[in-house]
Amino acid sequence: MSDSVFFAIAPLLVVSLGGLLLMMTEVFATRRADADGPSSDLAMGTFITMLAGAITAFALWLVGPDNLAGAKAVAPYLLVDRFTLFFDMVLCLGGGIAALLAGGYLPEHKLDRGEFYPLLIFSTAGAMVLASAGDLLSLFIGLETMSLGVYAMVGFRRGSMRSTEAAIKYFLLGSFAAALLMYGGALLYGVTGKTALAGIGAAIRAGVSSTDWGILLLSMVLILAGLAFKVSAVPFHMWTPDAYEGAPTPATSFMAVAVKSAAFAMMLRVLISVFGDPLSTSWGTGWPPVVALLAVLTMTVANLVAGRQSSVKRMLAYSSVAHAGYVLVGVVALVEEPGTAQGSIMFYLLSYTVSTAGAFGALILCGSRGKEAVSYEDLAGLGKRHPAVALIFSFFLLSLAGMPPTAGFFGKLYIVSSSIGAGLHTLAVLLVLNSVLAAYYYLRVMEYMYMREPAAGAPIAVPMRSGYVRAALAICAVAVLVLGLWPTSSLSMAIDAALALR
Amino acid sequence: MGAVPIHWFLLLAAALFSIGAVGFLLRRNLLVLLMSIELMLNAVNLTLVAFNRVHVANHDGQIMSFFIIAIAAAEAAVGLAIVLAFFRLRKSVRSDEAHVLRN
Repeated sequence: MSDSVFFAIAPLLVVSLGGLLLMMTEVFATRRADADGPSSDLAMGTFITMLAGAITAFALWLVGPDNLAGAKAVAPYLLVDRFTLFFDMVLCLGGGIAALLAGGYLPEHKLDRGEFYPLLIFSTAGAMVLASAGDLLSLFIGLETMSLGVYAMVGFRRGSMRSTEAAIKYFLLGSFAAALLMYGGALLYGVTGKTALAGIGAAIRAGVSSTDWGILLLSMVLILAGLAFKVSAVPFHMWTPDAYEGAPTPATSFMAVAVKSAAFAMMLRVLISVFGDPLSTSWGTGWPPVVALLAVLTMTVANLVAGRQSSVKRMLAYSSVAHAGYVLVGVVALVEEPGTAQGSIMFYLLSYTVSTAGAFGALILCGSRGKEAVSYEDLAGLGKRHPAVALIFSFFLLSLAGMPPTAGFFGKLYIVSSSIGAGLHTLAVLLVLNSVLAAYYYLRVMEYMYMREPAAGAPIAVPMRSGYVRAALAICAVAVLVLGLWPTSSLSMAIDAALALR
Repeated sequence: MGAVPIHWFLLLAAALFSIGAVGFLLRRNLLVLLMSIELMLNAVNLTLVAFNRVHVANHDGQIMSFFIIAIAAAEAAVGLAIVLAFFRLRKSVRSDEAHVLRN
């Protein structure tokens, strides 16, 4: 019995143990003064740990979570199902790529301290707990484990005003959101007497009295607000551009991909298991109109503001807000088309993970110490000076814009088709119009790279040399291309993993 | 068994939570903001423990409040460290001093 429990939660254990091991080796390692910094070993160790976590999750996927005897022993605190395993793979991929980017970025920018990697691993472990949480208790523990690591990573450049300010803003709003979420959770416990998400949902379906329904609505509002903060939906997005811009770029990439995916996993679980009853999912009394409004606001506002940025990193931050809006359209479609909508959301998160991590990675590769690529002007003429770097950056931007044959195209296509299937024609049209709007600022980067010459005497970005960053970009590029050329197998995996099918 | 009815506890918790939320939105001192968040989490704890008196079949509410206390402590540690780093750079703990990152 006991060893089968270890088997069932193997991906989480592999990542956590790898993190502990790396932390200890870093503490007791002795380095000669002229040796390379800690990044030289830790980045590869972290990547291998994440890879092992992803492979273990895939192995459990092949075995089938229903065949795992130990899976029932950890329920409802950790639910081991295909949904969990799919997100384990996505999160390990996002964390592994962030580790490789850090391996190039930290030494280049004189930030080479070993703490970054254990923080990254434990954040990923927290995100994995969050994606598998089936109880308010484990949900909160996972959420905070993930967030505390990320707060520290955002403020990693302690001497920098921008980095510290980003950490302050992210920490304050993140903890505020967590408190809102927990108060909503406590009210749910009060109404139903359960802390397991499935138990709460069953008690709500069985019917509650009218006074209890008032408390339930209040808790739904609190939980939706908390979730909207975490996925950075407008108007709860104020922290996102600041935190993304001030953080060291590998931490930004981790926040944009892993933290956001885990937050959407939490959102899906909460909305489907807890608020899945007919009253809560109706357009008159439930969450769909609220989420639809959030989706429209998020897409439109983020795209309009993103076009006016002068910093590429800040533009990418707003672009990540806009992508959250596209995913929210899929969340609204859940009510009518549970299986395909959820499959399309999960496929979107996978394709978004590789495209965004790639774009931030390309931005890292474009700059070197003292010559970081920040604004559009920094990138002027890059296509002539460094064609390979410009080419790969353009490739990821095209995927974010949703051009075929990239992963981003099919991600958007599936979300649009599932929302049309659910009868949400207005939302689908708004999504398409928004992606046209978004193409403007993605193509603007390419315009600067290929069609502009740097102004005389202006500082130009000099690409750095790093095998780690190149390896990360290669992984992302292959994944974007594979998902763009053969999307069906990963889409059917995502639909297999959909919670709502069961 | 005390004779205090449950709704008094819940009202007190709601009041604490509102004080915390309003304080968070209105005050400009980072340390006060940290305390407001702690106040909100304590309101959550009080709600959980009070509701546990209604749901006597298990101790889920009380158990959860222990975990929230522990996590709130970890959160305060990280938060104070970040505020300290901010104070070292700015010689101030006012949140309106954080204005380097802007549109």
